[in-house]
Amino acid sequence: MQNIIIGQYVPGQSFIHKLDPRAKLLTAFLFVIIVFLANNWITYVLLGAFTLLAIFVSKLPLRYIYNGLKPILLVIILTFLLHVFLTKEGPLLLDLGFLEVYEGGVEQGIFISLRLLFLILITSLLTLTTTPIDITVGIETLLGPMKKIGLPVHEFALMMSIALRFIPTLLEETEKIMKAQSARGAQFSSGPIKERLKSIVPLLVPLFVSAFKRAEDLAMAMEARGYRGGEGRTSIRLLKWSGKDTTLFIILLLLCVSLLLLRS
Amino acid sequence: MDITIKGLEHSYGKGTPFERKALSNINLSISSGTFQTIIGHTGSGKSTLIQHLNGLLKPTQGSIQIGDFKIQAGVKEKRLKALRKHVGIVFQYPEHQLFEETIEKDILFGPLNFGVSEDEAKRRAAKLIQQVGLDESYLSRSPFDLSGGQMRRVAIAGVLAMKPSILILDEPTAGLDPRGRREIMDLFYRLHEEEGLTTILVTHSMEDAARFSDDILIMEKGGVVLQGNPETIFSNPEALKNLSLDVPETVQFIHRLEERFNKDLPHSVFTLKAAVDAALSVLQKGDDS
Ligand SMILES: Nc1ncnc2c1ncn2[C@@H]1O[C@H](COP(=O)(O)OP(=O)(O)OP(=O)(O)O)[C@@H](O)[C@H]1O
Ligand SMILES: [Mg+2]
Repeated sequence: MQNIIIGQYVPGQSFIHKLDPRAKLLTAFLFVIIVFLANNWITYVLLGAFTLLAIFVSKLPLRYIYNGLKPILLVIILTFLLHVFLTKEGPLLLDLGFLEVYEGGVEQGIFISLRLLFLILITSLLTLTTTPIDITVGIETLLGPMKKIGLPVHEFALMMSIALRFIPTLLEETEKIMKAQSARGAQFSSGPIKERLKSIVPLLVPLFVSAFKRAEDLAMAMEARGYRGGEGRTSIRLLKWSGKDTTLFIILLLLCVSLLLLRS
Repeated sequence: MDITIKGLEHSYGKGTPFERKALSNINLSISSGTFQTIIGHTGSGKSTLIQHLNGLLKPTQGSIQIGDFKIQAGVKEKRLKALRKHVGIVFQYPEHQLFEETIEKDILFGPLNFGVSEDEAKRRAAKLIQQVGLDESYLSRSPFDLSGGQMRRVAIAGVLAMKPSILILDEPTAGLDPRGRREIMDLFYRLHEEEGLTTILVTHSMEDAARFSDDILIMEKGGVVLQGNPETIFSNPEALKNLSLDVPETVQFIHRLEERFNKDLPHSVFTLKAAVDAALSVLQKGDDS
């Protein structure tokens, strides 16, 4: 439970922490696109270098990020194996009779896994170094123009921020309920699978009950404090674009151009 | 079952930027049948400490021996479920653990998990629902239609139905009305006496601590700062004041009496009746002179 890093914010003073949330959001968004430009070793190395540099500059503890990745690692490994076994391109590397491994498959497997890994790292970095409020304000300003065509941008941003805000709370709650039910003999992490499955109901029911109750309380509290939607609402946080943010975009541009030049 | 805690240390979020030491170097032994109370400010580590007693939290350092179960830092104890059958915990705000369609089913959850027969478990539920101050008609109702205080009682019944030999209570009466508090505490004390339970009570109420405890433990910032029986603990209001804690109202009353009448009085006065008696004795003696 304690290793989950989704939606978690780690306070800090690094270059990345101090970037404008709009810059970070745009970077993450653009990164998701340019990841798909990479298609050979040199371009993947470039992307890797960019990701590692970002992690390094953020000054987040490496072990923390590694622990947070563990649950996702399984998905990555699975992707890798699927590609290795299913792609039949290039010279044959290994023949086990029932199973043939081609060089193209291994290469594809590595590329796709790396792609996944980079995407997860960069997007995690966004939430790890940006407070939920900043993310919301960032999204709201970026999507601002869409208001003109009638999209509920403010509501969308608010929903996002509430969701982000409540992920850690729900995890805490889950842990609490698991403890209470374990003390009454439920088995979550040991014992036969059948027992563990049976424990899901005693966990989910209280979790839903409390999530609904929290939602109700929050709605009530917002109304009591005069919340009435986005109309005419100004933000207490003023975003400021600085030299740092421009630097980030120059780096991103360089990365993009190099990828275009070096891809095969 | 005797409990022995040696050099216990616990850090939350080990290996994350949020790592935080919640307990350090706790040494404690609680012999079977004791009523042990734990007092301390919010955040002093009381809940963290008690969750070690049935293996819900693992020590980062040190060991805990409960009967012949041993929980040790870095060693995996395989018989946790067996241990939990003996150690029941009523958590802070236990009403969050309710989940079944009917109150009866919810009370049965614990006993059935620990292999009690259905008939026996139902008998216990019928008896307990009354003991916690509701009547048998509640058994077939949904736990989610109850008031907060009633939910609390059902949740408590659910833990008691396991018939643990060590009962741990983490602020079981927080948020109840005064009468509800008294009823529930009296129930716990009666069970403690009748069934010879080892009871560990976490509380902010000095009055409860004084009335029921054999031994009181005062925690601060993850460590033990004072320990002793109620008489010794409450005979020294200055030490408690330094920890920003109070003595029970009855003891405060006795100290005032002493000041007012310039007399030495016994300090182990923990019930209303005893306080009245003490006051009467002073006043009557006053008449004599
Ligand atoms: N699940 C958790 N994750 C991280 N830190 C925690 C967790 N639970 C408690 N802590 C921290 O450990 C310390 C001790 O908390 P604990 O809950 O044991 O206090 P307590 O004495 O029971 O307080 P209270 O009287 O408010 O219940 C606190 O500083 C708290 O912030
Ligand atoms: Mg507590």
